[in-house]
Amino acid sequence: MAKNEKPAEAIDFEKALAELEGIVKQLEAGNLALEKSLALFERGVQLARACKEKLAEAELKVSQLVKDKQGLFSEEAFKEDKD
Amino acid sequence: MLGQYFSDVWIEGEVSNFKAYPSGHLYFALKDEGSQLQAVCFRHSAQRLKFALEDGMLVVGHGRLEVYQPNGKYQVILDTIEPKGLGALQKAFEQLKRKLEKEGLFALERKRPLPALPRTVGIVTSPAGAAIHDMLRTLRLHKAQVKVVLFPAQVQGEGAAGQIAEGVAALSDRPEVDVIIVGRGGGSIEDLWSFNEEVVARAIAAARVPVISGVGHETDFTIADFVADTRAATPTAAAQLVARTWEELDARLGDLTAQMLEAAEQVLFEKQQAVDELVRHRVFDLMAARMAELHHRTERLVTAAEVALRSTLRAATAALAALDLRLSRQNPVARVLRRKVALQVLADRLEKPALALLARQNVRLEQSAARLDALSPLASLGRGYSICLKTDGSVVSRAGQVGVGDDVRLRVSDGSIGCRVTRTGDN
Repeated sequence: MAKNEKPAEAIDFEKALAELEGIVKQLEAGNLALEKSLALFERGVQLARACKEKLAEAELKVSQLVKDKQGLFSEEAFKEDKD
Repeated sequence: MLGQYFSDVWIEGEVSNFKAYPSGHLYFALKDEGSQLQAVCFRHSAQRLKFALEDGMLVVGHGRLEVYQPNGKYQVILDTIEPKGLGALQKAFEQLKRKLEKEGLFALERKRPLPALPRTVGIVTSPAGAAIHDMLRTLRLHKAQVKVVLFPAQVQGEGAAGQIAEGVAALSDRPEVDVIIVGRGGGSIEDLWSFNEEVVARAIAAARVPVISGVGHETDFTIADFVADTRAATPTAAAQLVARTWEELDARLGDLTAQMLEAAEQVLFEKQQAVDELVRHRVFDLMAARMAELHHRTERLVTAAEVALRSTLRAATAALAALDLRLSRQNPVARVLRRKVALQVLADRLEKPALALLARQNVRLEQSAARLDALSPLASLGRGYSICLKTDGSVVSRAGQVGVGDDVRLRVSDGSIGCRVTRTGDN
């Protein structure tokens, strides 16, 4: 779990999704030049693929809060007993 | 003395004239249709009560009888009080629920929607229970792109409520946490009781981020469920609510990709059609004819231009040659040469007559010389004649010119002879 510390934020899914929605809307409007359409499509495929890949490599990170002597909480790894 | 005999009494009645003192002691009367008895519940017992006493409440209490010395009246000191009818816990549940409802803590307007895409999920539950295990498994199963921060809390027994409340507050304080799940697995009403405690309800209500409750089973309802922004039937269901956002994202991605493909295909199709339509247009036939005509015209023009160009070139070449000629005439070297030739001609013309004249003069001179030669005395001398010259050089041609003794000189052809006159006379 310690490896692959890259957070999910590496891809801003919401932003990517919003952009993708915008692309679909523009393509569906259908009043674009062919080149522009193709560029948009390419960008869209790229976005979708990046998101899909990121989603596929999901690895759940789990930590727990532990109280120190000063009564402050800090995070440490949580060891679960898996079945 | 009385207490010795009545130290273990059960008494039942309706609470009236209830007073809770700041000291924590509770004073009230227990009455039935015909009688009433003063009752006291001291602080250490009052603290253990699961519900709050109210006027009009029917209760069953246990304790001992005493006489209150200052006024000599009997009173009962209660160590245990149970609501009559409902269980104490049930009663307490109803009371807290009513109280918080009155405060508006369950109001729908208070409920916050879950984050569209939760990134960090705070979970308050036991680190050893089935609940955390179920929740983590569910999050993994649905590939939720989340980080889990667990607040390990005792979820039943003494002190559990305080820990749960602390956990909610602690997770709420962490800025990265965007949703909190509080929960535990199934159990008896006593097992789940912590989630009915006011301190838990208050912590949930105060949380900075939306809270999902997932306590017990489908049929279990706790105060935490009422206060939470979203109630999930079980801990697993709570985790599913979080995971679902990510599943929806995944599905949405798929939909959008498909939509995009379709739209792009449509664009291509439409463009293709537009091109086809244009290609079929009559204007292209006209254009072709016009193009052919233009092509012919161009060819003709090119040929004409070539002809014109050639003749111009020829004229220009000729003009150039003429110019060259003129230019060469103007050339000073040539001019000098020409003058030189002319001069030579002139010189020749001058020289020839001069030479001829000269030649003629030569001839005449020779002729004259020959004549002169013939006349010359020198020639006579050659023939033996001599000339007698006086010392003064005058020629003696008559005898009288000299006296005896005079020196004369006889000039002969090749020199002279000195002589002295010895005589004179006629011949």
